[in-house]
Amino acid sequence: MAARSTYTRNRWFSVSRLAVMFIVASFALVAAFSSPAFAAKKNPIKIGVLSFLSGKLKPIGDEITTGIQTAVKMHGPVMGRSIELILEDSLVNAQVAVTKATKLVQKNQVTAILGTSTLEALALLPVANRLRVPIITSNSGSAVITGEKCNYWVFQTNPTPQMAVVAMDSLINDTPKFKAAKWFTMGHDYPWSRRVARSVKIVKGVNYVGEAYAPLDTTDWAPFIAKVRASGATAVVIPVTLGTPLVQFIQQANEFGLTKQATLVAPIGLPDWLIAKLGELSTHIVSAGAWSAWRLEDTIPTTKKFNELYYKMHGRVAGMQAIQAGTAAQLLFNAIEKAGSTDGKAIVAALEKLDVEAPAGRMRFQKDGRMAEVALILGRIEKLKKPKYGAMYAQSVNALPASRTLEPAKKLGCNLKK
Amino acid sequence: MFVNSLNGIIYGSFLALTSLGLSLVFGLGRVVNFAHGVLYALGGYFFIIFLPSLGWSAMLFAPLVVVPLAIAMEWLTIAPIRNRDEIYTLLVTFGLSFMITGAIEYLWGTETTLIKPPVIFQGTVDILGNQFPVYRLFASTLSLLVTGLVFVFIQFTPVGLKIRAITDDNEMAEALGINTRWLLTSIFGGAAGFAAFAGALGAPIFSVEPEMGMGIIIDSFLAVILGGLGHLPGTAVGAFIVALAKSIGGGYIAEWAIAVLFLVVAAIMVLRPRGVFGRGRIA
Repeated sequence: MAARSTYTRNRWFSVSRLAVMFIVASFALVAAFSSPAFAAKKNPIKIGVLSFLSGKLKPIGDEITTGIQTAVKMHGPVMGRSIELILEDSLVNAQVAVTKATKLVQKNQVTAILGTSTLEALALLPVANRLRVPIITSNSGSAVITGEKCNYWVFQTNPTPQMAVVAMDSLINDTPKFKAAKWFTMGHDYPWSRRVARSVKIVKGVNYVGEAYAPLDTTDWAPFIAKVRASGATAVVIPVTLGTPLVQFIQQANEFGLTKQATLVAPIGLPDWLIAKLGELSTHIVSAGAWSAWRLEDTIPTTKKFNELYYKMHGRVAGMQAIQAGTAAQLLFNAIEKAGSTDGKAIVAALEKLDVEAPAGRMRFQKDGRMAEVALILGRIEKLKKPKYGAMYAQSVNALPASRTLEPAKKLGCNLKK
Repeated sequence: MFVNSLNGIIYGSFLALTSLGLSLVFGLGRVVNFAHGVLYALGGYFFIIFLPSLGWSAMLFAPLVVVPLAIAMEWLTIAPIRNRDEIYTLLVTFGLSFMITGAIEYLWGTETTLIKPPVIFQGTVDILGNQFPVYRLFASTLSLLVTGLVFVFIQFTPVGLKIRAITDDNEMAEALGINTRWLLTSIFGGAAGFAAFAGALGAPIFSVEPEMGMGIIIDSFLAVILGGLGHLPGTAVGAFIVALAKSIGGGYIAEWAIAVLFLVVAAIMVLRPRGVFGRGRIA
């Protein structure tokens, strides 16, 4: 009998203990599910990233996506909500870019689109009013995006070709060696190369000795290098497509001894993944206007924070395209917080008034326009005394502020229709 | 003119090596091998894989890996459709070239790899007041030597005799007891070996990247067409015509280099539709 009573009591204790445990667990669950961290995960802010995620231009897409991922981690939750990146590959095709952007907006319901390069940004301009989400491009080389075709929804953080023209003038006039040099343009046979050549030719007093444009599929640069050498050029500006063609050109220029005869001038600098690939060869190159540089960290704490986190996350140095993409993301997150909403128009209004320190420096968009007041970076690529972030070579930093290079929006042909 | 001509000869000797394989494969099996370019690229990739452990002898080992791969490719994809029109093999090899390029990108990434020439071949040499890279001269000489050996093999060996017989009349050669099936597969493998060797030899000049075969395949096809389809001496001469047209055109009127090349090809095709020696096939 006594044994049964003990059994009953024990069972009662077990049942009551279970009930208490259940109630405590329920409270814990409710608390956990209603915590800000859970809310942030449950209802994230979706951001579309449209870039080159495959093929020959994948290294550029990698820089862009890793830069944005770093900015997401660096900034943390936005308005208490986490950021969810949705990556889409444009396949280097304008039509695909439009299809993917439409999918991002209509199906995924993204708040904004980041990561676009020239091809995607140009493709999205005509449909931006239909998409109705802010698009911040950080890797575009066309003047019309923030010039005559500027659009209410499309912003740009990386410097424009017109800004590069002023930078070229500054490089030549401020460097006695370049002022006295014989200039030659050796580029690919497409419009950008000719624009770069014009930017050299219009510099007052420049000694311009010639130009040559090679077909886009050139792998053997020997005949063109022979032409440069025959001209006696001592400064060669090289608007050659970034990536394999530029690597091949620089390697072969060195092979033929052109690097002993002349300094090579890269009109938009070199991405750091290319500098790493070229190694010692990169020291023959001077940048006439890189879009950013990780060594800005010597004077800008946000750049340093970004570089350290980028290295921790991706195991390499943050290149100019990564820093630019990270900057675009940082601006977007700040704008969403300032707007206090994910409404497109509210974010655009916030972007227009933003003035923050980003990985590429102090950043705000020009009045009545869509171009960021961003500095261009001039200087030679040099060997570092001590490797940093895995880099042994890097561009020296001579920042040319936007106040010297960026024209007012109206002068650029930008007339915004809200 | 001298500088551009020498540059043309250097590139031409290299192009001759890649074009010969294409010409042989077409001459024997009527196979328009669009995958020849990716076999060239595979040579470059296997070279950089073996280079750290085998040193510069990797240049010889890279083709040894590509040859069995090419033979397997021929067995599985080309042999079953050999008796159909050339368009079938062209489409199949065209598809294969994309598949293999995709596989290269998947396995080794899309980046470009730079290779420095061996120390003894670094630097330049002065030729009549012009600086020429030593390695280019070495690669050009080696290419010419290998091309010469191929000609000797075709011209003076019993196997070469059989190859010439099949090239002239496939059915008759078979009727006389020549095992065309075995020979066609072997030649396909051999041609792939030459392409792979060229890819390895060219790595310190043109670097290594997944699409490296695309440029060379177009120039090689032009060389084969100029030389007369399936005619080996014509193909070698065609390679030099293509290279000189590109080099001289590029040196004087860079923007028109491609136009110059195609004008030269068009002119020769009109004047000599069966190739420079008039011995090739029309189709």
